[in-house]
Amino acid sequence: MRVVHYLNQFFGGIGGEEHADTEPQVHDEPVGPGRLLGQVLGEDAQVVRTIVCGDNYATENMEALTALVLEQTKDAQADIFVAGPCFEAGRYGVAAAGLCVAVSSELDIPVVTGMAQENPGVDLHRQTLYIVDSGKAASAMREVLTKMSNMAHKLASGQDMGAPAEEGYIARGILKDTFVEQTAAQRLVAMLDAKVKGEEFESELPAPSFPEIPAPAPVADMSKARVAIITDGGLVPKGNPDNISAWAATNWGSYDISGKDGLQGDDYEVSHRGYDTRYVEQDPDRLVPVDVLRELEESNVIGELHSQFISTSGLVNPIANSRRLGREIAAQLKESEVDAVILTST
Amino acid sequence: MRLTLAIHQIGSLSLGAATLLDGNKLVVDPEELRLLILEDTRLRSVDIETVSPGEDCRIGVVFDILEPRAKEAGSGPNFPGILDPIGVVGQGVTHVLRGVAVTVVDGGAGLENGKILEMTGPAGEASPYTSLHHLVITPHSAENVVRHSEQASLRLASVKTSVYLAQCALEITPHSAEIFESDGPVVQGREGLPRFAYIGQVHSRQRVAEIDEKILYGDNTAGMVPVSLHPNEWLDGAVVTCNRAMGAETYFYQNHPVILELYRRHQDDEITLVGTLATMAASDNEERDRNCMLAAEHAKWNLAADGVILTKYGGGAPHADLSLTARRCEELGIRTTVQVSDMSWDRRAESALLFNYPVVDAIVYVGGRDTDWDVPAAGRVIAGSGELAEELGAPRRLIATNVCGVSSQQGISRLRAMVH
Repeated sequence: MRVVHYLNQFFGGIGGEEHADTEPQVHDEPVGPGRLLGQVLGEDAQVVRTIVCGDNYATENMEALTALVLEQTKDAQADIFVAGPCFEAGRYGVAAAGLCVAVSSELDIPVVTGMAQENPGVDLHRQTLYIVDSGKAASAMREVLTKMSNMAHKLASGQDMGAPAEEGYIARGILKDTFVEQTAAQRLVAMLDAKVKGEEFESELPAPSFPEIPAPAPVADMSKARVAIITDGGLVPKGNPDNISAWAATNWGSYDISGKDGLQGDDYEVSHRGYDTRYVEQDPDRLVPVDVLRELEESNVIGELHSQFISTSGLVNPIANSRRLGREIAAQLKESEVDAVILTST
Repeated sequence: MRLTLAIHQIGSLSLGAATLLDGNKLVVDPEELRLLILEDTRLRSVDIETVSPGEDCRIGVVFDILEPRAKEAGSGPNFPGILDPIGVVGQGVTHVLRGVAVTVVDGGAGLENGKILEMTGPAGEASPYTSLHHLVITPHSAENVVRHSEQASLRLASVKTSVYLAQCALEITPHSAEIFESDGPVVQGREGLPRFAYIGQVHSRQRVAEIDEKILYGDNTAGMVPVSLHPNEWLDGAVVTCNRAMGAETYFYQNHPVILELYRRHQDDEITLVGTLATMAASDNEERDRNCMLAAEHAKWNLAADGVILTKYGGGAPHADLSLTARRCEELGIRTTVQVSDMSWDRRAESALLFNYPVVDAIVYVGGRDTDWDVPAAGRVIAGSGELAEELGAPRRLIATNVCGVSSQQGISRLRAMVH
């Protein structure tokens, strides 16, 4: 197994922060921790090339560095690419993870890196990489390299990867079904017992963490604002012209309401399998309140109702998909100079 | 309240000239049972068959699975509100044919998303039902019977058959007895033990129950607020599943995994089981707010619970009711664990949860979305019609969520989605 190894200037033995601008150097031998890596990898593997680069240079010239690493890795006929471990070093982690992603997708060989949970490289690429949890202490180098070596062998031989805790990598946030010994009921009661007693317990799904979305500035004057309605309740014109799926919809529709004082049940249907849709089908204004907004428009509480309403089906929609739909819808409304949006859900 | 389950362990099931229990051999007279089922004029005929544990047999679409049980005289009604008049269950003696299931086939349901019982192979091994002897009944509707009446006739046939089978054991000494006794929230002499309760959804009004859809003591859950039930009532016929139940069968109300586990720890003096609440998942926000508030307040002030386990019913929306109730419990100082079902269509953990309350932090996650089996043609098929049997019996891909019991929402599932 031929290994190409990436290191920053510090672990590459060039020096600390004062050498962070060092341009990439290529060595046809293991360097620094690469020597230990060669040992733990065993006899059938060798580090054939090492690329060392300063952290600042990497940050500022990622494109050039990536091109060089791809070229050198390919030229070395590498079977596997290893970067780090980077521990808590943020610029190093970001570069290492970025290079791993590039090598994996361009050269289609296994890649391994290691860093601390807190390293920003983890947040960027945890979903696509197996990142060995290195902890923060560089003194654990041998232990971390051993884990990385085990992972390298495992990936190279194409074996199934086990759970994060048993393999030592940072959870990628991907769900995999597994049959376990205890029934759900037993797990529920045991977890409650621990929780009530104040003991440690482990939820089977860690709390989701989503970035905070800052609220935009309030609308200065609603009586001059153009207002649009967006719903994820699946209201569509009869026949569902855009084929919006009744669950996990991958598209959205924009439907003309200009000149309408309200919506008639005969003209619409609902593409959504997650709620009792009868009341909306009877009177779509219950979901998309065109009737009331027209009154507010007439009495000049709002400036104007946007000429289209926007609809999709939110049911069991993956987050990544929802984000894309949101971005697309927002872009279109921005283009239409809409000032405010009313979101109605079910 | 004290319930004694008189357990008759059954080793074989066959059809014969008279219904009787001979040692551990159960014999069923299909003609007598047929006459009983066909008293219901909504039905024109019924097929009655037996299936052995592990047999190469595929059954679908499954309407429900029940354990055969019958109450001793003076012990209270059988399936009150469905079969017998309203009366409290959960006390006295109930005879149980352990090792047997009554499995009811719904001939009016399409195969798409229909529940299947696979008795053999890896899919079968993953199901808690394949080790049982099944008496499979396939009722056929009379002409011009509307769908909800057809479903109501399936429900009636299911409980009739369950009771009919177990009645033959009423005069026979059981192999063993299981005793379930709890004094509820006023229990004395167990100071210092944590007080645990269970809050279980029994329906989701995403699909409004039919007027004759009998779920809780025969009620269809319209306008239902949280109902206090003694744990024994779940085990003894107060609750059955709805007409189209996802991840739930009456068998695991009768053998409720959460309640049995709570009872086990109660009997081992690790906790005190103080009671349960049955709730439904609402169809609008006001109903949801009201029900979640009432359930949590009930757990706090009437059950004085220290900890509550919550389970959901149905699809995605009931997670809102589940988590809101749990959050209110936590705010009242009651610790909670919740069981959710697999909702991540892209297999990303970030898409898995349909709620985000930091205090609802103890989650059991039942998997199912990426477990499936390619099964060969079935040696034997039981379905509602020849056409359906042909379709069902062909080689096909079985998805875990459609195989009875595998991704159960009642607590029996061993399929867990792990975060990798």
